[in-house]
Amino acid sequence: MRQLRALLLRLCCLFHSRRSEDEFEAELESHVAMDTDDGIRAGLTPAEARRQALIRLGGAEQARQAHRERRTLPWLESLFQDLRYSLRMMARNRAFTAVAVLTLAIGIGASATAFTWIDAVLLHPLSGVAEPGRLVAVESVTPNGEWVPNSYPDYVDFRIHLKLLDGIAVTHPATFSVGNPDHAERVWGELVSGNFFTVLGVKPERGRLFLPAESGDAQGAYPVAVISDRYWRSHYAADPGVVGRTIRINQHELTIVGVAAPAFHGSLPVTAFDLWVPYMEQAVLSGVQPWMLRDRHDRNMLGIARLKPGVTVDQARQELEALARRMAVANADVSEGMSATMMPLWKSPHGPQGLLVGPLRILMGVCVLVLLIVCANVANLQLARATVREKEFSARLALGAGRARLARQVLTESLMLTVAGAVLGVAATPWMSSALKFLMPPGPMQLLVAMDTRPSLPVLAFTVGLCLFAALVAGLAPALQVGRLNLSVKLNGGGRSGAAGRGRNRLCSVLVASEVALALVALVGAGLFARGFETSLHIDPGFDPDHVLLGQFYLNTSGYNLQQRKEFCRRLAERMTAAPGVTNVAYSDGVPLGFEPSWWEELRIEGYAPRPNENMNIFRNVVSPGYLDLLHIPLVEGRNFTEQDNEDAPGAIIVNQAFVRRFFPGRDPIGQRVNGWGNHWFRIIGVAKDSKYHYLSESAPPYFYVPFRQIYREDMNLAFYVRAQGDPENVLSTLRAQTRAIDPNVTVFDAVPLKEFIGASLYPQKVAASLMAVLGGIAVLLAAVGLYSVMAYWVAQRTQEIGVRMALGAQPADVLRMVVWQGLKLTAGGLIAGALLALALARAVSAISFTNSAMGVGAKLMGDAGADPLIFAAAAVFLSVLAALAAYIPARRAASIDPMQALRTE
Amino acid sequence: MGEKTDVWQGTLALMVLRTLETLGPLHGYGLARRIEQTSGDLLQLNYGTLYPALLKLEQEGSIRSRWGVSENNRRAKFYELTKAGQRQLKKAAAEWEQTTAILARFLTPAEEA
Repeated sequence: MRQLRALLLRLCCLFHSRRSEDEFEAELESHVAMDTDDGIRAGLTPAEARRQALIRLGGAEQARQAHRERRTLPWLESLFQDLRYSLRMMARNRAFTAVAVLTLAIGIGASATAFTWIDAVLLHPLSGVAEPGRLVAVESVTPNGEWVPNSYPDYVDFRIHLKLLDGIAVTHPATFSVGNPDHAERVWGELVSGNFFTVLGVKPERGRLFLPAESGDAQGAYPVAVISDRYWRSHYAADPGVVGRTIRINQHELTIVGVAAPAFHGSLPVTAFDLWVPYMEQAVLSGVQPWMLRDRHDRNMLGIARLKPGVTVDQARQELEALARRMAVANADVSEGMSATMMPLWKSPHGPQGLLVGPLRILMGVCVLVLLIVCANVANLQLARATVREKEFSARLALGAGRARLARQVLTESLMLTVAGAVLGVAATPWMSSALKFLMPPGPMQLLVAMDTRPSLPVLAFTVGLCLFAALVAGLAPALQVGRLNLSVKLNGGGRSGAAGRGRNRLCSVLVASEVALALVALVGAGLFARGFETSLHIDPGFDPDHVLLGQFYLNTSGYNLQQRKEFCRRLAERMTAAPGVTNVAYSDGVPLGFEPSWWEELRIEGYAPRPNENMNIFRNVVSPGYLDLLHIPLVEGRNFTEQDNEDAPGAIIVNQAFVRRFFPGRDPIGQRVNGWGNHWFRIIGVAKDSKYHYLSESAPPYFYVPFRQIYREDMNLAFYVRAQGDPENVLSTLRAQTRAIDPNVTVFDAVPLKEFIGASLYPQKVAASLMAVLGGIAVLLAAVGLYSVMAYWVAQRTQEIGVRMALGAQPADVLRMVVWQGLKLTAGGLIAGALLALALARAVSAISFTNSAMGVGAKLMGDAGADPLIFAAAAVFLSVLAALAAYIPARRAASIDPMQALRTE
Repeated sequence: MGEKTDVWQGTLALMVLRTLETLGPLHGYGLARRIEQTSGDLLQLNYGTLYPALLKLEQEGSIRSRWGVSENNRRAKFYELTKAGQRQLKKAAAEWEQTTAILARFLTPAEEA
């Protein structure tokens, strides 16, 4: 307590030290005066008395010094001195300060942003839940090893039989239409099992969440809903009386029972949902047939489980796998060969994080690269400045400053620069973090991105760590240099840097070489990603997306039943076909190369005996007769669907070439029979050319099309295609107008040109390529600045040598050649090191794959361009030119000055 | 035992507190003289070292100071004990007595033997 009081007082004294100094001066004065008085009284002469008084005092200056040290905190005072001095130095060298601070700001800002994203996506995938570490994702596994969502009956089995879990919940993201028919609004929410909030451990902000009684499996028995805090604030003005109010969802009335905690955004990472409704309401809300909820085929539920305390993921997975094996046998008709697995949430292939994980990993690596370049740059700059200041340091050493004190001064300066850079960088972080949504495909997913972009505590800690790291790296070299200064040599030699120390020259060469190496890695990386992206852009999707407008409808949210839906489609197609500027109209369930899951059906094929455990789940699309024509997918055999392939006609099916290759090798498929959809028979009427279905790099899987009118169901999507004569955007207004003419309550959602929409399947690659392009650009820019500054400094050091050479008869051209040649030699060393590093990195990166939410299958981010010699060569040439320029400009300046001037410089 | 002993660390504060307790408010010079006298001139007190010690005590709240006029009509800074200082003195004196008592036990038998 006493110590604390003393410390505080000493701190205070830092700020009015002048006054206390004066006061102590007066006290000393009175002390000496009194002592002198006593001396005089004892019979001494005034002069002698004063002398003796001063002796007894033990030296006035020592007393002052001791008093001063006790009065304030000396180390703090010298720190302030260092800081003041650093500020003065920074202000005096504005260009240097600006370059260093900006460089650091870019490096630190980029790293902090990357870490914010990684924190949000990988480390804290879900916010507002209790003990997220015990939550795992549960996925079904197809006989082919693909991860797919779960069916509701499977979930019920999991819930009953798994003992190592503290509960398992399922959820199905969905859109709802909220409000009256005349001004309905689309809201994203989740259809969840009743125990959803209990399993996640979410707390209500108002009211209550779902009760145990609402966790049952009785259909349509729980007309309740929970809204998000965000929705509560935006739509109910945070009215506490919202609990118990009625909310109109898909034209059915549900009661709001509560508001979820503000931090809770739903069960998909980085995604914000606003509404939660018990899954059992789906039959009522979406007009889904009750039997569908009991269908083990209907695998559309994402599973989230909570492990019991102390249970590891592996233990729980073993229990789950054992259960899934028994279930696969018990339900062999639908689940033969199926299994199930669980994994940490961030590994789940469903939802945006599946897309983001791969790019984020690369981003992290790139940030480290940028940061390294930043540190090298700042170290370079500092080193160059340390040389300029050699004399100043020598003078300070000569005046009695300790080496440690000087080194501390240099470190303080680096720290100041870093802090300034960090403040700028962190200030830019929230702004940069919100750019995450631009990494998402356009359309609904982008609107949904919810992320806390304020840097959190770990992010700040990370940044502070980075700062210290950067400051140490940047300050260490010059500080060591100061420690090594040899006083007499420096002062006597007048800073003749001809002998500027081999040590520093070597250090300088290493810095140049490492700058070059890092820049090469950045350039090659950017080149490889751009190349990979470009290659996949040129893959022929097998259909023609140009001039096609895609509009999506959510008819279930308008309370349409199946008959009304089909009628709506037919009438809209009729009207659109008649509209001017429209050449074709078609509609389907799935969109090729889209982002929605692609569905499959388990088929039995007449005349084909599947091997045991062969996966007979074949991907399919449900299409209107005009679909293949509209997308310019040619039929290689047979006929297309017509309006006559309706509900009453015999089942018809069109398969692709891969389907034929696999199931009818050497046979004519036309007229063969296929069984699916619960023992319905379809006859193959045509064979369509292979095209791309899920992502561009896939090799054609077996695929088939069935007629819309025969197979379309309530829980399917509805995508409408319009082929226009010119720009597809032009027919958008027509589509809107015609839709309104049929039913004013139906809205066209997400109408975009198909070409843009299918770009979504390229997103991971596009993101990686653009990230690398941006960061690679920054890295190259920084490296160029660094390279130039180091080269300029290196040449400047040799001004005298150049002067001597020219005085001895060397021509400016000789000097230039020599300097540039030596610069290039350094660069070559860096290039070799960089090339080796880039090769190793390219191999590591090409192993990173991304998952497509449609498939849950890994796809490669980068083509096999891992060792593309052209890119390496181009990057090397570019950097060599850069290095030559960086050496040439200062060398020319050095060579153009008068030799006498150069010799006299020092 | 003719030579004078230096004041060792820690005891000076105790001496100051004790002197202020017995004599009341006193200026720095008076304190220094008084401490020398009390020690029977056995202590070699460097007057200059007194002031940092006074400052420390003041920062810790054991004493406080104000400007006044000395007996010889000189302006001087007077120090006096605070309540906290009295407590502190009591505690420090007790500790010191205990220490010397313990040390005495070690030293006494040696002389007897």
